[in-house]
Amino acid sequence: MELLLSNLAHGFGVAMSFDNLLFALLGALIGTAIGVLPGIGPVATISLLLPITFGQPATTAIIMLAGIYYGAQYGGSTTAILLNLPGEVSSVVTTLEGYKMARNGRAGAALTIAAVGSFFAGSVATLLVAASGPLLTQVALSFGPADYFSLMLLGLIISAVLAQGSVVKSIAMVTLGVALGLVGTDVQTGQQRFTFGVPELSDGLNFAAMAMGVFGIAEIILNLEKPEVRSVLTAKVGSLMLTREEWKRATPSVLRGTIIGSALGILPGGGASLASFGSYMMERKMSKGRHEFGNGAIEGVAGPEAANNAAAQTSFIPLLTLGIPSNAVMALMVGALIIQGIQPGPRMVESQPDLFWGLICSMWIGNLMLLVINLPMIGMWVKLLQVPYKYMYPAILTFCAIGVYSINNNVFDVYSTVFFGILGYVFNKLKMEPAPLLVGFVLGPMMEEHLRRAMLLSRGDPYIFIDFANRPISATLLVICALTLGLMLSPALRKKKEAAMAE
Amino acid sequence: MKINAKDLASGIFLLVLAAVGLWLNTDHTLGSARRMGPGYMPMLVFGLEFCFGLIVLGIAFFSGPDSLEKWTKLDFVTLAIAIAVTLVAYPLLAAVPGLESNWYALGISSTIGLFILAVSPGWRVLALVLAGMNIFGVLLDAGGLFLAIAAMVVVAAFADKDHRPLGVAGCVVFLIALCWWVFIYELDIRVNIWPTF
Repeated sequence: MELLLSNLAHGFGVAMSFDNLLFALLGALIGTAIGVLPGIGPVATISLLLPITFGQPATTAIIMLAGIYYGAQYGGSTTAILLNLPGEVSSVVTTLEGYKMARNGRAGAALTIAAVGSFFAGSVATLLVAASGPLLTQVALSFGPADYFSLMLLGLIISAVLAQGSVVKSIAMVTLGVALGLVGTDVQTGQQRFTFGVPELSDGLNFAAMAMGVFGIAEIILNLEKPEVRSVLTAKVGSLMLTREEWKRATPSVLRGTIIGSALGILPGGGASLASFGSYMMERKMSKGRHEFGNGAIEGVAGPEAANNAAAQTSFIPLLTLGIPSNAVMALMVGALIIQGIQPGPRMVESQPDLFWGLICSMWIGNLMLLVINLPMIGMWVKLLQVPYKYMYPAILTFCAIGVYSINNNVFDVYSTVFFGILGYVFNKLKMEPAPLLVGFVLGPMMEEHLRRAMLLSRGDPYIFIDFANRPISATLLVICALTLGLMLSPALRKKKEAAMAE
Repeated sequence: MKINAKDLASGIFLLVLAAVGLWLNTDHTLGSARRMGPGYMPMLVFGLEFCFGLIVLGIAFFSGPDSLEKWTKLDFVTLAIAIAVTLVAYPLLAAVPGLESNWYALGISSTIGLFILAVSPGWRVLALVLAGMNIFGVLLDAGGLFLAIAAMVVVAAFADKDHRPLGVAGCVVFLIALCWWVFIYELDIRVNIWPTF
């Protein structure tokens, strides 16, 4: 406990430096902005800003990128409540009750509980990250190569299973991601693989180019193809204060949302959108105001908003302790760390204390900033929605082009972004979910390394992975993999998931 | 029978990709399970990919109906011509002195292809947005950052029917100013600003 406090004090020292505060604020502001704006999400934005952060120290860079992710959870609720338009996937369920509340003249109350609930959940989840990080790290340090391989496999499978759409196609996308990760120089023999003699490919496909193309550029094209929906703000924001009755109803929902969100965030493949959905289902079944659902129940705003922010924080746990990204945003963080020369993994807590503790403390500071950014300044963010998309997309395109060029000062990366833009467009038309691809791409090279090491240690005997007596961790993880796959193939559960996704 | 055209196409896409991967992988030594060579992991991954391709293909016959968007005759024709022209133009351009370096041949030939694609209304948005980005790549070194941004924004602006000349001009000026401030003044990236023809 004392150690935790001294570590947190160290973290606050790092997070309170002028640069880190500035970039946390910048991240929070950008996050809120893209959260408010429909049509651009955190994955596209973070990949867009990835090159800009390379010039900064690693801690500062990650602090800003993290701010974008949780900032988007705050901003997303604003549009959901006021315009019935989810700014982010994670705030889809907030539209259900939030917009009804706005039409009942309680928009202000809905916005307040969304922000306060998010802040509370964010603070609790941050503490959870701080407390569990070092513990999990201890466990992770006893992992051998076989255990790592199995853990990554589990991460890949769960991230595919929980993605939207067909499970088989998602797993195929993960595999495709691993395949794309093979391009480049083989680490152990130095042989060039799948490079077609192109020197630019010898370091592998450019991660930023891929993320920008598949998410940023493809999104622009798809958004332009469908006619723009202009919603006008009809509801008045009204008083931001909650009545005593509303506080009483919302408090338990916030607590439940925090718990379920924290839990679902840690899960590989989990994250903000899954958490908000899970919390909504729970509130509709369990809360005292469940009979009011559909007519603007405050529980339906408080729970999911708390949950998505809690999950946004706790999804950093697998990344910071095991080095395993649990969703596409975390995959981008791994990319950012690797480009900064830091190998994410259990040793990060010890070797990069500034990064680990500084990030945790900056998360809390960032949440505090977001509370201020969102509540009193709500009018400013609503104005942002007046900017038509036709002025936004040239800006996104320009930032993509210059950003990707500046990584290596090579136009080849610009053309690969174009290529991945086409690929992302095709994926969308064929209903192939691109998020698992990114996770596979990041984990692929690490998996190959661990697989080779494990097989070398076992003298080529694959039994090492399922050897319960000597390697219980790996075997257990593989059993969970098999169970997960088995469950998803059962028709009953699949129907449930389809129904859940359709809502 | 309800065929899911999207799944069918995905399955074929995966199968083709896996087959190409496995074929390319014949160049690499496999090694043994104990001492894996550079070709071992690709073999596993593309093998798996091939299996998933088959499964997706199989599912396609039962999970439908989910048809692809209708392609007009013009869509087919422009796509075929665009690909053909790009493939012919690339080696020709690569032989021109001065264009063999800096990926000029790749950038110019694919830009020409994308402009041909833009003839068909179905492809126009896709083609013009991507052509804009390609032109940025082609112009950046010799034309400088400002010219490249201007050209990219103007070309990409045609992808949206609602754009008016004045709005586009405003966009160009604003973005040039913003990019100068962020990328040149703050981040100081190494790139030409003005044309150096």
